Amino acid sequence: MLTVKNLTHWYGQADKPLYENVDLSFDSDKVYTIVGASGSGKTTFLSFIAGLDKPQKGDIFLDGKNIKKIGATNYRKHKVAIVFQQYNLLTYMSALDNILTALSVTDSGHKGEKQYVLDSLKSVGIEEADAKKNVQKLSGGQQQRVAIIRAMLVDANIVIADEPTGNLDGENSAMIIKLFQDLAHEHHKTVIIVTHDPKIADQGDVKISLEDREFVVA
Amino acid sequence: MNYLKRSMLYLTHKKGQSLLLLLIMSAILVFVLSGIIIQNAAVSATNSVTKSAGTTISVSANRNKMFSKMRSSSSKSKTKTITTPTVSNTKIKEAGSLSTVAYYNITNTASVNASSFDTVSTSTGSQGGGMMKGGSGASTGNITIDGVSSTKLTSSFISKEDKIVSGRNITSSDANTKNVVIEKELASSNSIKVGDTITVKMTTSGKKKIKLKVVGIYKAKSTSSSGMPGSDPSNTIYTSYTLPATITGTEGKSSTVTYTLSNSAKEKVTTKKIKSIINSSSFSVSSNDESYQQLLQPMKNVQSFAKKIVWLVAIAGTIILGLIIILSVRTRQREIGVLVSLGESKLRIIGQLFSELFVILIGAMVIALLLGNFVGNKVGNQLLAQQETTSVSSTSGANGGPGGGGGAPGSSQNGGMRGGAMTSQTTTSAANKKALKTLNTSISPSSVIKLGGMGLVIIALAVCVAAISILRLRPKDILIGE
Repeated sequence: MLTVKNLTHWYGQADKPLYENVDLSFDSDKVYTIVGASGSGKTTFLSFIAGLDKPQKGDIFLDGKNIKKIGATNYRKHKVAIVFQQYNLLTYMSALDNILTALSVTDSGHKGEKQYVLDSLKSVGIEEADAKKNVQKLSGGQQQRVAIIRAMLVDANIVIADEPTGNLDGENSAMIIKLFQDLAHEHHKTVIIVTHDPKIADQGDVKISLEDREFVVA
Repeated sequence: MNYLKRSMLYLTHKKGQSLLLLLIMSAILVFVLSGIIIQNAAVSATNSVTKSAGTTISVSANRNKMFSKMRSSSSKSKTKTITTPTVSNTKIKEAGSLSTVAYYNITNTASVNASSFDTVSTSTGSQGGGMMKGGSGASTGNITIDGVSSTKLTSSFISKEDKIVSGRNITSSDANTKNVVIEKELASSNSIKVGDTITVKMTTSGKKKIKLKVVGIYKAKSTSSSGMPGSDPSNTIYTSYTLPATITGTEGKSSTVTYTLSNSAKEKVTTKKIKSIINSSSFSVSSNDESYQQLLQPMKNVQSFAKKIVWLVAIAGTIILGLIIILSVRTRQREIGVLVSLGESKLRIIGQLFSELFVILIGAMVIALLLGNFVGNKVGNQLLAQQETTSVSSTSGANGGPGGGGGAPGSSQNGGMRGGAMTSQTTTSAANKKALKTLNTSISPSSVIKLGGMGLVIIALAVCVAAISILRLRPKDILIGE
């Protein structure tokens, strides 16, 4: 379980905090969607729970352990996987190499299991030939599926996604959301999706709205 | 997949960028290697010069002492005579056996008159010009007997001013014989051949006649400018150093000896040792390392320039590579961000950059090893040629001096010298200069190790510069735009 306690953050010299004393909990086997308008601070919140940035006040606990004690690098390496709107794959590699790199960096139990990776990619519609092509030669939808498989195969229990369908058409968006639901329900991970799209937000198990500096759990 | 594999993937994917880096790194290493091999070649040439520059130590009469002795003599004769001091051949040999002495040449000179043959005379328009060749004293003969240890060691033979055309040289085995080598003009004008015997007459001791056996004929390039009989080079007869001593009545002793050192760097210590062996205030022991210094200077300049090349290129290379990598890091921010988001440590990312450059360094070293010797050879010899030109133009005035002092007027028995002992230095220098016209550049294992070391330092520094920007990167800023 990921727990956020008394999280408070300001932007620069702003008079008012972006949010104050936020308390939230994220359980495994569930898809959480955080929805809010642009500039509301949802991506900033994501960067705190992903270990990419530190809040000015408050703590984040993973299974009761403060992530400050786990260490940001260690936390990102073993506990959390991130899926970005821009896919953020290594452009000089194939899809297969991208995932093998992630497995190697995170010391995953599936490290070096090439066939396992190819099978996983095939399960989301990426054939071996495409898996071995340079990742930039794949479509946006295919690249995002590669990014999700990367997040799925590393040992991290928390998967955080920032506008994962932002660059995709309706059909691909639906496929991606389905993959996230599978990650939570079949692979028992905690999935947190940040989105500005209410339709995507509605497809989560728990919807959290960020309105007027307040996180409201629906 | 570890960061080493990622490096290879990056390099093979970014072929253009990798090739550009390879070319830049190769250019840097070619110049670094050229500098290293020029430096090595200059050092080895300097060592060779140190050994073969022919620094000489001359033991000869202390002229000041000689003249002051003459002035204080009680003789009331109008013509005061001076006697050239001598030193025993045993002492000369003892000094010659010093480990730092390569060889030595004893020089004794005597003046006699031709008896069984005619001298060669050169007529010129003006009489009386040029140097005094033993003055006009009554005891001066028309033939100069130059006694040497070996004609091959004599400066005029080394410089090929004199050259054997028939028969053989005078060698150390001719000691205590009356074997001589005469000049070609003298031989042909008197129909003398190798194996013939000629007779000379002493200027003192009752004009005693001495029979000399001709064992060789030499040809002298130079001609006399004075027109005096004894001054024509054709009237110089070479023999062993023992014969002039017999003529002057100083058997077992000699007046001048020139030691040529095997290592010019040992000049001071050898001079000191020779002084202590000779142990006589009548003699001056002087060293001449002018040619050594003349040869050394261009080499030192080349060495220093090569050193500057190495440092300059290394510093410029580090800056250039550092800037390229900083630019490359800027274009690779997203990649770095992705790796950081996966939990890769920044140190490993820096390690990836280093290993990419290391692979390029290996390729660049191969190219540098293929081209470095060629470039080093060309640049080194160009530098040396420039240095030689500068050195010759700046020293030409000093080298144009006369070839020796000749005998003192009226000195007993001693006629004019052709400046043999003094010119030995200049001729050895000429031979060495010829040898130093080219630098022998070659790539040694130590050059490769040095190059590798320099290359590693360059890429390490360049990566360190780039690492600053990597360490300052915040993954959130790279990956998530608010």
